[in-house]
Amino acid sequence: MNYQPSDYLPILVQLGAAIAFIVATMLATHWLGPKRHSKLKDDVFECGIESIGDARTPISVKYFLVAILFVLFDVEIIFMYPWAVNFKALGWDGFMEMIVFMGLLLLGFIYVIKKGVLKWEK
Amino acid sequence: MSLITLIPLFPLIGFLINGIGFNIVPKNLAGIISTAAALASFCCAVVLFMNFSGEVQIAKVFDWITVGKLNISMSFQIDQLSLLMLLIITGVGSLIHIYSMGYMSHDAGYGKFFSFLNLFLFFMLLLVMGSNYVVMFIGWEGVGLCSYLLIGFWNKNTNYGTAARKAFIMNRIGDLGFLLGIFMIISHFGSVEYLDVFEDLGHGTVAGDKTIMWITLLLFIGAMGKSAQIPLYTWLPDAMAGPTPVSALIHAATMVTAGIYMVIRSNALYSLAPETLHIVGWVGLATALLAASIGIFQNDIKKVLAYSTVSQLGYMFMGLGVMAYSSSFFHVMTHAFFKALLFLGAGSVIHAMSDEQDIRKMGGLRKALPITFWTFLIATIAISGIPPFAGFFSKDEILAHVYEHSPLMWGLALAGSVMTSFYMFRLLFLTFFGEFRGTKEQEHHLHESPLSMTLPLMILAVLSAVGGFFNVPHLLGGDSKLANFMAPLFAHSHAVAHAADESLEKTLMIISVIAAILSAGIAYYLFIGKKSVPVADSKVAGLQKVIYNKYYIDELYDTIFVKPISALSKFFYSVIDFLVIDLAIEGIGKLVKGLSSEARLMQDGRTGVYLFVMVLSIAVIIVWTLKDFILVGFK
Amino acid sequence: MNSIIALSLFGIANLFLGFLNNRKILMPATLAFILFALGLNLADWNTEVLWFNNMLRTNNLSVNFTTVILVATLLVVAISRGFGDDEEHSHPAEYYAIMLFSVVGAIMMVTFENLLMLFIGLEILSVSMYVLTGSDKRNLRSNEAALKYFLMGAFATGILLFGVALVYGATGSFSIYGIGNFVTENRMGQSEITPMLYVGILLIIIGLLFKVSAAPFHFWTPDVYEGAPTIFTAFMSTVVKTAGFAALYRLLSVSFVGEYGKWVYLLYFLCAATLIIANITAVYQQSFKRMMAFSSISHAGYLLMTVTSNQATTQSSILFYSLAYSIATVTAFAVMILVSENKTSNGKPDESFDAFKGLAKNNPLLAFALAVSMLSLAGIPLTAGFWGKFFIFSDAFKRGLILDLIVAVLMSAVGVYYYFKPIIASYMKEGNIQEITIKPIYKLTLIITTILTILLGLMPDLVKSIF
Repeated sequence: MNYQPSDYLPILVQLGAAIAFIVATMLATHWLGPKRHSKLKDDVFECGIESIGDARTPISVKYFLVAILFVLFDVEIIFMYPWAVNFKALGWDGFMEMIVFMGLLLLGFIYVIKKGVLKWEK
Repeated sequence: MSLITLIPLFPLIGFLINGIGFNIVPKNLAGIISTAAALASFCCAVVLFMNFSGEVQIAKVFDWITVGKLNISMSFQIDQLSLLMLLIITGVGSLIHIYSMGYMSHDAGYGKFFSFLNLFLFFMLLLVMGSNYVVMFIGWEGVGLCSYLLIGFWNKNTNYGTAARKAFIMNRIGDLGFLLGIFMIISHFGSVEYLDVFEDLGHGTVAGDKTIMWITLLLFIGAMGKSAQIPLYTWLPDAMAGPTPVSALIHAATMVTAGIYMVIRSNALYSLAPETLHIVGWVGLATALLAASIGIFQNDIKKVLAYSTVSQLGYMFMGLGVMAYSSSFFHVMTHAFFKALLFLGAGSVIHAMSDEQDIRKMGGLRKALPITFWTFLIATIAISGIPPFAGFFSKDEILAHVYEHSPLMWGLALAGSVMTSFYMFRLLFLTFFGEFRGTKEQEHHLHESPLSMTLPLMILAVLSAVGGFFNVPHLLGGDSKLANFMAPLFAHSHAVAHAADESLEKTLMIISVIAAILSAGIAYYLFIGKKSVPVADSKVAGLQKVIYNKYYIDELYDTIFVKPISALSKFFYSVIDFLVIDLAIEGIGKLVKGLSSEARLMQDGRTGVYLFVMVLSIAVIIVWTLKDFILVGFK
Repeated sequence: MNSIIALSLFGIANLFLGFLNNRKILMPATLAFILFALGLNLADWNTEVLWFNNMLRTNNLSVNFTTVILVATLLVVAISRGFGDDEEHSHPAEYYAIMLFSVVGAIMMVTFENLLMLFIGLEILSVSMYVLTGSDKRNLRSNEAALKYFLMGAFATGILLFGVALVYGATGSFSIYGIGNFVTENRMGQSEITPMLYVGILLIIIGLLFKVSAAPFHFWTPDVYEGAPTIFTAFMSTVVKTAGFAALYRLLSVSFVGEYGKWVYLLYFLCAATLIIANITAVYQQSFKRMMAFSSISHAGYLLMTVTSNQATTQSSILFYSLAYSIATVTAFAVMILVSENKTSNGKPDESFDAFKGLAKNNPLLAFALAVSMLSLAGIPLTAGFWGKFFIFSDAFKRGLILDLIVAVLMSAVGVYYYFKPIIASYMKEGNIQEITIKPIYKLTLIITTILTILLGLMPDLVKSIF
């Protein structure tokens, strides 16, 4: 069966109809529905308590650093699963390669510690 | 590194040391370094000459430019011609370096002077050693630059600066011709290597080919500028503004003979262009006569020598015009000896006279400057063509060839030779004989120059005396060594003129010698016998005035070329500049600027817009390239 | 190839060198590292080897490109001056390490055999560059530039990856020779090229064009160049561009050459568009750095021209041009760093043309180096840039890209206008710049680059014949 692009035309038509229906309904409710604004009605409401300040609070950049480092090392560990499964097949070559890999990872870890990233209080 | 590349390298190193370190190198050392560089090159040249087997040697330093099929390399060619030129340039050059150590010793720009001299040597060596026209052109331009630098060496004097500029501009006119010639060679032959070009000529190019004629004519225009031929000769007398050793080296012995070198180098081309040769011959003759006649009435010792140089160069071109290439080269060689000697002698005189150059204020110097006098005498006899000194042999050879070509030319050339003899002896008598006519103070200061100056004089005097024996014709029992040595160079030329039969040659020789001696006698009668001295400038009248003022050629050039050009320039400045530059060009500039200020707004700093434009472009690109597929579907 | 491993290790070594108290050792160490890598790289000359299960291929082409990249890096490091003496806000060890890592990426981009390696190399290079762009943490513009670069770069990477996926889908191969064979056989068999392959090729080209900043994917360039610390701008405009063009050329000449007729029009028009947009916009700029950004875009246009012409000489043209351009650009930025630091306006370095006013009077070396580099960029004879342009124009002429040639010649003329602005400012305008003290190695670098530019201008065959 050889489809031509023109065979997809009905789908396009249906898509158009669907979008048109949604747009039409939204516009209709917008026009038809009654609207009354007042200060109280438009006010931010939070469980009966008046809202204070911004919802966005600054968090120490150390938090992100630690989080990122965790993800980094965590994900690297996943790499070891397929290696462990194929340990015998990969043999000494695989072992050495993993040593190199772990060595580099360890160097990174030492670097992180020496930089003092993990010290929460300075 | 081969010996060949060392030759130009030595002066270059000398130039770099003195040029870069002109504040650091001690004064005495500067001269020694430069002279050593020149001598080292000379030694290399001598060794090369000794070991020369007759085979052409090419030393390639590096590939310079490769464009399409045209390959221009920086390479040197050693053959008979370049070897002889090398010997002359480095030999005379070394002597003049030694001389300059004495002559320039009191000058503040001592180190600068020597660095320029070395630079000149470097470019001159490039010029004669290059194995293609482009390398020759580099040298050609380089020596022009050095000539400019050295003429205006005493740049505090505005006149000297103007003289330097004049030399440069006149040379540029010639260089344009040379350059166009090179372009024609490239387009016609597809190579600039001498060997390739001449090889190509062998494949059935016939004499009278129009392209060859144009190439040779254009090259000759270059030669006219560098070797001071009509109409581009007026710079050379003015070039005497430079220090005297420079006049000797650049404006007498070496650089000005570059034009002759070039024609000899291209002899294969010239031999195929009889029309050009005709022009070369007559231009040479006209220059020889005109310059000689001006020389008769000049009173500045260096100016007389300058016109004499122009005139002798004219002789050489005349010789080239009748295809007597080796004779012309022989004259280049002997001329290098005696003209360098004359200039250096003049320098010695000027040195003794405390920078006085007017011969009317000299006289009787032979007692105070014995060595200078004797050497000057030898040179004068040599240039006048009186046997057995060098000039006789070379000039006579040219004259013999000229006679064979056209007796009329010979007659005129003889007249020029008579004038030469006359003004040279006039110069000699006025300077060294009679009573001293300068101030008391000058008389008191008169002294022979130091050994560093007189030694080169003596060596050159020996060369001027015996230089002629390098090429003694059969007629006088010799075997034309030089001509035989150079014969392979002319293998490509189809017909090189052969001398007339011997009895005729003998007659011609006797006539010219008698004429020269007679005219020397007239000079003796006038300036020793009657003790006449040229009158002061203001009293000169009649035809003599016209000649004294160099036929008003400078003024003529001023009226014909300079004034119209400045008028045109004014017109361009006031009309074209406004209409074209201001309106059209600036208009385009403003348009671009305007566009630019609009285009700049696209870059508004909003990442969203950037991404949108990118995505839009990608969409357009994909739709446009896939339009075939999409349209097929909807057919 | 060994240079990749060596540079990765050196990068890590650099990180740890940073813990030493003496930060003066970092720059000499980095220079030594790069020189060592250069030596390793040159040892691969005249050997053709496939590495790591056909992932990378070293041959003379890759050695040449790697050399250009390493030389450019060497020059940039030489003018980095150890990243100043600001103990608190400057992290030289990290900067040098990241530079080395990014060079690893760049080298992978010129040695790749497998499209995945192209992608990884590009990512290593790009991510490093994002970080370096934003390395001036306290400067808002630097942050903005880094974010912009990252956003748009990520977008472009996505497109490139999409292209790789489509090409794999169409040909079943990641190897550039495998794809090349498929495309050629496809052509031989006269069967129609599938839209999938077609779109894949286009998307890969577009992804790379973004990296080399060709119009209309150039929008990030001026903002990023201007915002990034100048030293990294110099790095970016030389190394990234060379690597990008090397990758583009390799891909087009090996894999997609069989479908030359299909993609040539895209490059043909984009080349003209790039030249026009870059040169016209550059005319109005007042900031030297921003002008250099547009200049960098315009040079991408010239390089695109030779890639489009796809001649036998194209690779040596790209190499010569990249080298000439890199040397001149580094010189220009080196002079600019000194001048702008010397003359501050409102406490910030003055990067406008006005900063150069009167430079020649007390700093002849700086003014001369600047003038030579500008002349080279403008393509004035006797400089390396002239021959670079000349080779590219002759390639284009051989292919008959007349429209591009006309545009390129006109735009070169426009280029002269803005390249001469700093020369005029430094030689003909009055100004009051005192003599700037220059460290010896900095001075040496300036002298070497200037001499190289002139030397290559006098004797282009010295280098051109090697490539």
